[in-house]
Amino acid sequence: MRRRPASPGQAGQGRGLADLAGLAPAMALFGVFIVVPMLGAIALSLFRWNGLGTPHWAGAANWIQFAHDPLARQALTVTAKVVVLSWVVQTPVSIALGLFIAGRQRYRSVYAALYVLPLLLSTAGIALMWEALLDPNFGGLVALSRSLNLGFLRQNWLGNPALTLYVIIGLIAWQFIPFHTLLYQMGRRQIPDVLYEAARLDGASPAQLFWRVTLPQLRYTIVTSSTLIIVGSLTYFDIVYIMTNGGPGYTTRVLSLDMYQAAFQQNEFGYASVLAVVLGVVGVGIALGLVRFSGFGSMASQQEGAA
Amino acid sequence: MGRSGDRAGSRRRLTLAAVATMTVTVALAACGSAAGSGKASTTAKAGGTNLTMWLVTTGPSPANTVVNQAVSSFEKSHPGDTITVDYIENQSYKQKIQLAMGAGNPPTIFWTWGGGPLKQFINAGDVASLGNPAWASDFLPSSLGAVTFNGQLYGVPIEGTQPVFFFYNKTIFSKLGLTFPTTWSGLLSAVSTLKSHGYAPISLANGDQWPGLMYLEYLTDRIGGPGVFQAIELGKTGAWSNPAIIKALTDIQQLTRAGAFQNGYDSLHYSGGGSDALVYSGKAAIQLMGDWDVSQMLGLNKSFVTSGNLGLAPFPAVAGGTGDPADLAGNTASYVAISSKASTSQKTAAEAFMQDVLASSSYAKAIVSAGEVPVIKGATDLFAGQQLASYDQAIYTSVQQAPSFQYSWDQAVPPQEATPMLADLAQVFELTMTPQKFAATMDSQPSGA
Repeated sequence: MRRRPASPGQAGQGRGLADLAGLAPAMALFGVFIVVPMLGAIALSLFRWNGLGTPHWAGAANWIQFAHDPLARQALTVTAKVVVLSWVVQTPVSIALGLFIAGRQRYRSVYAALYVLPLLLSTAGIALMWEALLDPNFGGLVALSRSLNLGFLRQNWLGNPALTLYVIIGLIAWQFIPFHTLLYQMGRRQIPDVLYEAARLDGASPAQLFWRVTLPQLRYTIVTSSTLIIVGSLTYFDIVYIMTNGGPGYTTRVLSLDMYQAAFQQNEFGYASVLAVVLGVVGVGIALGLVRFSGFGSMASQQEGAA
Repeated sequence: MGRSGDRAGSRRRLTLAAVATMTVTVALAACGSAAGSGKASTTAKAGGTNLTMWLVTTGPSPANTVVNQAVSSFEKSHPGDTITVDYIENQSYKQKIQLAMGAGNPPTIFWTWGGGPLKQFINAGDVASLGNPAWASDFLPSSLGAVTFNGQLYGVPIEGTQPVFFFYNKTIFSKLGLTFPTTWSGLLSAVSTLKSHGYAPISLANGDQWPGLMYLEYLTDRIGGPGVFQAIELGKTGAWSNPAIIKALTDIQQLTRAGAFQNGYDSLHYSGGGSDALVYSGKAAIQLMGDWDVSQMLGLNKSFVTSGNLGLAPFPAVAGGTGDPADLAGNTASYVAISSKASTSQKTAAEAFMQDVLASSSYAKAIVSAGEVPVIKGATDLFAGQQLASYDQAIYTSVQQAPSFQYSWDQAVPPQEATPMLADLAQVFELTMTPQKFAATMDSQPSGA
């Protein structure tokens, strides 16, 4: 990221063909495993197919059904909540933790190791573990509420429609904050000390250092991390599937779960493809938008003239 | 993770729930390629016929041993013929068989729960009819309803029957001087007595959604008889709005309003054993569950079962209802069917396997020894000496005497209706959907049958 990439034209005309040949294996894999299935999903969204026999042409029927489906609208709302709240929760916490463990003190590396633990667990394991902890009759939180006399811990965490979605968002944060913390730790360590020295000489307070030096310098880290959080939570599936399966009612039924159920439980592959296309388009759209508006795509150095 | 098929699967070992759920995610990632996995090679070897058979399992269990022994005895008595058995995890099986059928590459013999999903395969021309074989009369008639379509038999039971009963903690009942109620109003008053003594009256694992469906199945039968659901199955217009269904849903909400279910019933999963723990630990008194709960309880708390504290009772009668209180609901059995893609010699061999092995009394005996209840006629004397003989005997007698054995609705209706039915019913339990709304929503489903 530090060096401005040479444009292909500068390196002479003969390189173009070689570049293409070098790209070919990657492009072939991308084509076979990404592009072809995507086109397949788009095509399938125009058919009715239960997975058996030949698909029947349905034209726009699946799309019209999508437009009128109250469950799909509900799933879109839930998904939007998960995306927005995940970003709002995970980003500040990850920045704070990342900056903290970026320090070189010994005790901080101990903390760093501890924070990273959830990252090592499989998602299914996390889901089952938390399900056991949150059980309203035998769970760990019930035991804790008894021994500490904390009544508010006695909640129907996974069965209360007003609460469950936030519990899920919290668990997703718990699972992924360690990863983003690592990103910010690295981002902070790459900021040259000269910048801080210069700012201090100019009399900057610690708060000013953070707002004027650290945060702008972390800009690309923020873009990377935000893209991962937003696209990741857009398609998030595992914990919801295992812990609530969309319930209670439809309060945690995210779009990816809706798609899964349409395809593999209701055998409506055409309609499920509509949902897949919607998810894909929204995801790619958001990712492209983030890259464009942040100027990340131009890959310009943020330390021009500093070194 | 509770959907229809879980119910059949949960009969077997559940300690592998973690593995199972991980498999699901893996299966999801791999679903695109599952159809291409070439396990279902259907080429006959010279000198004999090679069959493939896909069965569902949730881990090593006595039932697997029974099948393996049956297969090897078949191979011995039919020299040259071989059966290759693949065991597939419960949740991923449904996707796998659907994809294999769709790709025209199914195994010779495949596992099915009967009902709607099997009907869909039959409609697509994927299943070979068995006609009306004479040996089918060896099975209890009520056990073949799920695999009989248009008067033709399409499958044969391979595992035991799984009717649903009320299970209860006898210690709690005798402490309060209660006997298990035989009427719905009696159940309601038992609920209020239990509640006033600080018990959670009923343990319900409705995080899985299907445990709640059992209440609707039974109440509908008791109120309106088996005809109410048959009309639904036939796709009659407005069949869901039958007054019996509305009344059944209203009765369910009456239980919720009375606080009959334990705190957090709407998120508890059966496979974790939590709903059983409530009963054996004496926190809750009653649970409506399939008969597999006896063996699950035995695994979770052996002494509770062996000391006779686990009571078993039929679903109570509803005053003014037209259904016979001896009617049952549940999984009538698990079945195997033959793929229409099988060659003539494969079909002959597969039918021989069904007739000579699955319909034999020695196979029934092996099923009993694995702790299940077979659906073969005259199995009464097979239970003597079994650890759970008294339960097995009671279950078998109930099945034998049941005028109607309604197989689970989530298996009976087409798959595209089962998911909304379960999710909406959970909302009825939570009082966030009215019975009328439920019925109207279900009636507006495009029937895919």
